[in-house]
Amino acid sequence: MAETAIMYDSSKCTACKGCQVACKQWNQLSSPLTSDEYTYTKSFQAPLDLSPKTWLIINFSEEDKAVGIDWNFMRNSCFHCTEAACEKACPVGAITHAENGAVSINQEKCIGCRYCVASCPFGVPRWDEATNTTFKCWQCQDRTTADRKPACVSTCPTGALQFGDRADMLAAARDRVAELKEAGFTKAEVYGENELGGLHTIVVAQRGLEAHGLIRDPKIGLTDFWQLLKPLGGIAAAGVVGALGFSYFMARDYSRDTMVLDDATGQLVKVTEVKK
Amino acid sequence: MTNHWTDLQNSDVVMINGSNAAENHPISMKWVQAAKEKGAKLMVIDPRFSRSAALADLYVPIRSGTDMAFYGGLYNYIFENELWHDDYVKAHTNASFIVKDTYSFDDGLFSGYNAEKKSYDATQWGYVVAEEVPWDTSPTGAYSWVTKPGTPAFTPLVNKKAKKDPTLQDPMCVFQLMKTHYSRYTPEMVSKVTGIDQDLLLEAYKMYAATGEPGKAGVVMYAMGQTQHSYGSQNCRAMSVMQLLLGNIGIAGGGVDALRGESNVQGSTDMGLLFGNLPGYLNAPTKAHPTLASYIEKETQYAGWWTNRPKYLISMLKEWYGAYATLENNYAYDMMPKNDGTPHSHIHMFEAMEQGKIEGLMLWGQNPAVGGPNCSQERRAMANLKWMVAVDLWETETAIFWKAPGADTAAIDTEVFMLPAACHYEKQGEVANSGRWIQWRYKAVEPPGEAKDDAEIISEIYLKLKEMYEAEGGANPEQLTKLNWDYLDDAGHIDITKIALGINGYVIDPATGGPKGGVGLASFANLQADGTTACGVWIYTGYFTGNYIDPDDPEKKKTIASMDPTKMKAGSRNNADEPLIEGTKPLGLYLGWSWAWPLNRRIIYNRCSCDAKGNPYNEDKVLVKWDGTKWLRNDVPDFGFQAVAADGTVTPTPPEKTLSFMMTNETVAKLFGSGMKEGPFPEHYEPFESPLDNQLSSQQNNPAVTVVESAAKTLGTPDKFPIVMTTFRLTEHWQTGGLTRNLPWLVETMPKMFVEISKDLAEEKGIVSGDNVVIENNRGAITAYAMVTGRIKPLTAGGQTVHQIAAPWHWGYGSTCSVGGMANDLTPNIGDANTHIPEYKTFLVDIRKQEV
Repeated sequence: MAETAIMYDSSKCTACKGCQVACKQWNQLSSPLTSDEYTYTKSFQAPLDLSPKTWLIINFSEEDKAVGIDWNFMRNSCFHCTEAACEKACPVGAITHAENGAVSINQEKCIGCRYCVASCPFGVPRWDEATNTTFKCWQCQDRTTADRKPACVSTCPTGALQFGDRADMLAAARDRVAELKEAGFTKAEVYGENELGGLHTIVVAQRGLEAHGLIRDPKIGLTDFWQLLKPLGGIAAAGVVGALGFSYFMARDYSRDTMVLDDATGQLVKVTEVKK
Repeated sequence: MTNHWTDLQNSDVVMINGSNAAENHPISMKWVQAAKEKGAKLMVIDPRFSRSAALADLYVPIRSGTDMAFYGGLYNYIFENELWHDDYVKAHTNASFIVKDTYSFDDGLFSGYNAEKKSYDATQWGYVVAEEVPWDTSPTGAYSWVTKPGTPAFTPLVNKKAKKDPTLQDPMCVFQLMKTHYSRYTPEMVSKVTGIDQDLLLEAYKMYAATGEPGKAGVVMYAMGQTQHSYGSQNCRAMSVMQLLLGNIGIAGGGVDALRGESNVQGSTDMGLLFGNLPGYLNAPTKAHPTLASYIEKETQYAGWWTNRPKYLISMLKEWYGAYATLENNYAYDMMPKNDGTPHSHIHMFEAMEQGKIEGLMLWGQNPAVGGPNCSQERRAMANLKWMVAVDLWETETAIFWKAPGADTAAIDTEVFMLPAACHYEKQGEVANSGRWIQWRYKAVEPPGEAKDDAEIISEIYLKLKEMYEAEGGANPEQLTKLNWDYLDDAGHIDITKIALGINGYVIDPATGGPKGGVGLASFANLQADGTTACGVWIYTGYFTGNYIDPDDPEKKKTIASMDPTKMKAGSRNNADEPLIEGTKPLGLYLGWSWAWPLNRRIIYNRCSCDAKGNPYNEDKVLVKWDGTKWLRNDVPDFGFQAVAADGTVTPTPPEKTLSFMMTNETVAKLFGSGMKEGPFPEHYEPFESPLDNQLSSQQNNPAVTVVESAAKTLGTPDKFPIVMTTFRLTEHWQTGGLTRNLPWLVETMPKMFVEISKDLAEEKGIVSGDNVVIENNRGAITAYAMVTGRIKPLTAGGQTVHQIAAPWHWGYGSTCSVGGMANDLTPNIGDANTHIPEYKTFLVDIRKQEV
């Protein structure tokens, strides 16, 4: 299978949020049921952030002008990096790349350690307290392996979202950027070609990366990784957390088969020890 | 739409004015984006910066309610800079017609005004008649049908041909009158009225007027921002006039595009659901038409296609009343109620309800408790009802109007019945989109619980009423008991395909009274005024017919007797886009996908895509063309392009004999017309609640509007309510929220009622984003969250700063998932002079931070 990618063209996006809703519908992610559970976001961006139950949102940012504004939209979801920090950080091998480049979390294996949460430069994975597992976009692999487009792409009314071979998506993005530049959007650029070894979500940033809130030249580094780990205290003592992370970076082929099913309760039992 | 959705891709300039297409018609932007990819420009005119504006090449903020001044200024710009499409204007409009010298205009009023009645004598705006030609009703004449046995007797009409000046120089010709009329709309004046910066205004005019060049196409997409004003109909007319001056109607990529606010609102107007209409845009009879002959004589045009109007009325009556409708009883015309001459619009209906004149109300997918103008008044009015039936998918605010905030529940005696309805996936039938495509939709699942198809609900109620009238009698029982109800299946349930065939129309089989051969007619040209045909909605004739290729003779198409929608035109799903004329380019006409009324014409008035000689204005976008001996066609011609004799001989109609706009008496389009209540040229007036005096005349408001009592009592003035408010819809919600505020996935994407406030006004009022604010006027007070944003900015108009705020009207009190203030508690129940559409889009309020 060739590498595939979603292409998001911010210049064609009308920010209708159809993708947001389609994502929740296809993946059966719930929303609150009563009025009190919702808060006013002061913005068209709603919900304001990703969550274990929301894997895709459209970000809205306004740049004021004398007449009107520049209203910059951005699809906020997983970029499916080739050099995926989350995958590197996961101590139990719950995060993997599919052949087409999509990155997914296997909740059966996830131990809720939140290393991936801490390591992702884009802040994509979200930990769910109730199940002690972490969630994010998985590029609808149940659809793509059945020759269908991801739910978000299939619902997009304007062609702002496309899905196909990564090479084709990149070529289309480059063509679109050239068109936009000709039309006066001089800062237009492609995002995702080389970032983190190449992303599997390619973005046409109409008014430049910064205007759309994209991180220029994102990096994952060991130093940053350790920095991010410090405040975490999830599953056990900080030392264990450290050991887990350290062990991961030191011994990448380490066996992490530590989830067992408790026959008595029918529940998966979380990791309790680390073996060298 | 005079064209259709997919045709938007052929435009060179797209003007979105008074519409938020990106949010309310998301799929439309697919085609606008396609046009932009080919180099088209997009201009968005709106008081607030919307998600449509976010995509625009040019955004033009305007003071709400001043669109007519914008258009008047554009006409003036076109005249001053000689940018009109000269050939088009001469060939396809009434620019050359000479107007009677009784026409005049002075300080905001046209001649013929009666201040007491608030109405005009439109005969003062007629043409000078050059020649009177009586209808030729002889056996070989064009109107021989008038004397056919079975046709009701009436006095044949006389064609009044107007005097013309093809050079457009006569000072009383339409063109010269128009130039004079709009010379007052200078850029300085228009800027002063609209609050649009003059340079920006001229930039917009330049961009759009460029489409006057032959071969260029400009399209205007509009919605409620144009129509929901006390002069909304004139705004629509103004857009048509703009498009005619620039040659933008009847061409690929051009048109006047009403973006319908609901998926089947086109279908509902086609079916004549407005109080003044019958199906197929026939006018409903009033006390001016006491007899069938008087209706025919007054409603039939003396020229053009509407000369056939009697055929459509009588065929409709034959479908309604079947065998009961005979020549002897005037085809049951007397069974039709005659309007008393006063309006019975939504506004007037609730006014009558408040006055206790209405006992019962049936609501079908309507939620006036939230959606009506001045809706707190409507909720109070409903308390005067004895009974109410609400047919809907959810329990709407209207169904629980007696539980509304502030309602005195104990004092309300109205008996309310909720009838659960099937949603569109749970029933089959046709839906007409804005581009007039009629598409059959199939049932996917059974409706839940007791929910039923609307048609089934109607049928059950009808059958019960019939039974009661037959048993108990009553006033004029035949009106109901004699209705043709031949729409049931063997089990007694409604069969929607039988209704479809009735809508389509057929030749009546004298033996059975039903469709001859079991098939529908292919064209309304076959409908008769002699009682031999039946047809529910003449413009739909042909949509529920099927073709198939005769296997013995592949060249021969046969009409098949089938009731299977998949075999019908409305069910056809051929998405090939291949031009029929060799060597021309595909235009996205998709003639084989569904069926567009009338007669599958995709771009109506398409004769206007060619000059007088039949040569296309744009060889790259050919709809029809005259090849010297016949008409070549990519689209179905919207004109008589050939005559077929009884023996099958085809005689092409040469270009000089064809009609550009066959639905008018003039048979060309009207830059000047006598059909509107407030004058032959659209003129700027201020909204009923405005912060400014009319800068263009001393006539402040539309002189032809009458204001109902409850509205007059609650009008506000700018000294108390200095802020202009407008309302809008969001892509996340639907109308009054009945559908969407009960779906958590959608609620989450826009969970709370809010109001958009400019940074300047927020600072002035000490408001920050997230504050609860109170918005109020004489009609009510609502609370909402403040959204302080650069998307809305104060304008300078009439020498003063005008603050505008904007709020969605999706919220109410009837959901557990999302409740909020009702914007329509603030909107005025004042209607337009022609249609009585409420002035939802501009009114005055004040705003303050809510004290905690």
